[in-house]
Amino acid sequence: MTDRSLVHIAFYAALMAALGFMPPVVMPLAGGVPITAQTLGVMLAGVMLGPVRGALAILLFLFLVALGAPFLAGGRGGLGVFQTPSVGFLIGWPVGAFVAGWVMRLTGGMAILPASALAAFVGGILAVYAFGIPGISIMAGLPLVKAAYASVVYIPGDLIKVAITALIAQTVARGLPGALLSRS
Amino acid sequence: MISMYLQGDSWAHRLPAGLKLLAVALGSLILFHVSSVWIFTGCLVAVVALYATLGREGLAQLRLLRGIVFFVVALLAIHWLSGSLDEGVVVAMRLVVMVLAANFVTITTRLDDMLDAVLPLFAPLKLFGVSPRTPALGVTLVLRFAPHLMLVFSRLREAWQARTARRSSWRLLAPFAIQSLRMSDNVAEALKARGGSAGLSSSP
Amino acid sequence: MAFWPKIRTGSRERVCNPDAVPYAVFENVGLTIGARKVLHGLTLSLSEDRVGVIGLNGSGKSTFVRLLNGLRSPTDGKLTLFGAPSAEAEKELPRHVGFVFQNPDHQAIFPTVEEEIAFGLTQLGADKTASREQARRFLSDHGFGALASSPFAELSEGQKQYVCILAVLVMQPRLLVLDEPMTSLDGLSGRKIREKLMSLPQKIVMISHDLSHFEDFDRVLWLEDGRLRMDGPAAEVLAAYEADIDRRLGAGMEVAAL
Ligand SMILES: Nc1ncnc2c1ncn2[C@@H]1O[C@H](COP(=O)(O)OP(=O)(O)OP(=O)(O)O)[C@@H](O)[C@H]1O
Ligand SMILES: [Mg+2]
Repeated sequence: MTDRSLVHIAFYAALMAALGFMPPVVMPLAGGVPITAQTLGVMLAGVMLGPVRGALAILLFLFLVALGAPFLAGGRGGLGVFQTPSVGFLIGWPVGAFVAGWVMRLTGGMAILPASALAAFVGGILAVYAFGIPGISIMAGLPLVKAAYASVVYIPGDLIKVAITALIAQTVARGLPGALLSRS
Repeated sequence: MISMYLQGDSWAHRLPAGLKLLAVALGSLILFHVSSVWIFTGCLVAVVALYATLGREGLAQLRLLRGIVFFVVALLAIHWLSGSLDEGVVVAMRLVVMVLAANFVTITTRLDDMLDAVLPLFAPLKLFGVSPRTPALGVTLVLRFAPHLMLVFSRLREAWQARTARRSSWRLLAPFAIQSLRMSDNVAEALKARGGSAGLSSSP
Repeated sequence: MAFWPKIRTGSRERVCNPDAVPYAVFENVGLTIGARKVLHGLTLSLSEDRVGVIGLNGSGKSTFVRLLNGLRSPTDGKLTLFGAPSAEAEKELPRHVGFVFQNPDHQAIFPTVEEEIAFGLTQLGADKTASREQARRFLSDHGFGALASSPFAELSEGQKQYVCILAVLVMQPRLLVLDEPMTSLDGLSGRKIREKLMSLPQKIVMISHDLSHFEDFDRVLWLEDGRLRMDGPAAEVLAAYEADIDRRLGAGMEVAAL
């Protein structure tokens, strides 16, 4: 691994932490469920860094959380968070970043805006929920369908994050092209 | 350093970090196959007693449970609605016990010690040509970047506020990304200038 | 990323001679970044204790000094550093050449002052405890003992830059390269750091837009559009540079008067 890769990985892990400190936005659209910015970090890591470095960034972040850094939204952290029903989502994050980065690769010929929106949607929503919902089901002893109902309230917020990810990716591609490592 | 660690010198603080981690891992493995309300009641009493041995400040740490109140309530509600309240109670108790036990390790172990305890697990990285120091360096870099990112963002927000009289906007995110990414490029250069993540001692 | 262990065949030989004089020899060196030729046909050798680099924004100063510690490699010509061809010297250069950048916020790697200093020592092979201890001693020797455990982010600008310089000095390089190290400092901190620098045993190559920093320097290089416009004793080059700026300003005024 080059030093540059290491620094970029650490950078996106720190971005995840910084997003966790942002106050949650209460969305009228999502029925008053507070949404946090942190899955935005997952989408950005994948879209900007590409599959391997994106996934490593999220893993490094989760490693810090496990070591005791209170970096999850709401100041949560420590080993305890890996024992809650949301652990499936935490496992889904690095996978989601990987998938997002991978989609970004596959769509190499597409313009940045639609490509990154697609990547963020497939990685940041489909892949993450594919782990998150079974996680709730197993940890909470609920059938899959009920677990899915329990998480559907977060989807509108996640769609907004997809849009923001695409806009950021496009702006960065114009302002600092070298930083869009998934495409270089 | 930013951490959930509770300053102290109790018996639990003095136990080796590796041992505590192993205990939590084994504990959650076993509890996952237990479904008796009585056993969980016993566990709950035991784990609260653990916190009590840390004194009043230890008991105050039980407030970390706040983070999962929402889960517990939602869980009981869903199980109650689907007529499996008994199972709901077991699941909820398991959740509380496991979260408390895991957090107990977190609050009694310094982040540094935790890191030292798990670093040997990364030794095989050497086989892939990656220095085993890399994970530790990554952790440090994150702890260094995180406060700086928040500073960059609050400066941007000030500049935005000064010109628009509005608090903040998602529009700030793109310039934020560009400014902070430029910083990370410079740090990468500075790291290389001082010998890189692998260090200088391996090459004579 | 290599997938098989790197096999070390005994200890490689050192290629750099830290005492080489001159320490850098440029023979028709050029550098192209992307499609752009940033440096052209530089031929010079450096052996003086204090070398200044001046030139307008974008003239190639930062790129030029980055050649000295392998952050960039020449694309044309031949560069010899510490007696070895630059491509071979690259691995050893961070040990011999310390580099201080303009913005201290962008070069500190660690959250606290002590860790930042200790890093240089672990880079040289010291273990964690020993390097921490040595770092603390080094800091108190330089009057920074009280700030050893402070978070880097909470220092003043001058203190931050000072720590960055110490973090490089603790590795005991032979050459110190500084890229506009005093830009964000007030007059007093700037003077203090300059005095500190002048007292060091290291050889120094420094970029600055504040020409007063070069008064006691042995030699000044003036870069223009990636070429060496003038090279000589500080007083002469500085005077010519200032005259050139005056001339350009004068020309600008004529245009404005039209
Ligand atoms: N990474 C890069 N990619 C493309 N061009 C570059 C890069 N780095 C530098 N350049 C170009 O090289 C030229 C010289 O840049 P350099 O940073 O060396 O100038 P400088 O003399 O240090 O300027 P300043 O006084 O503003 O710091 C500039 O025209 C710049 O646009
Ligand atoms: Mg410059």
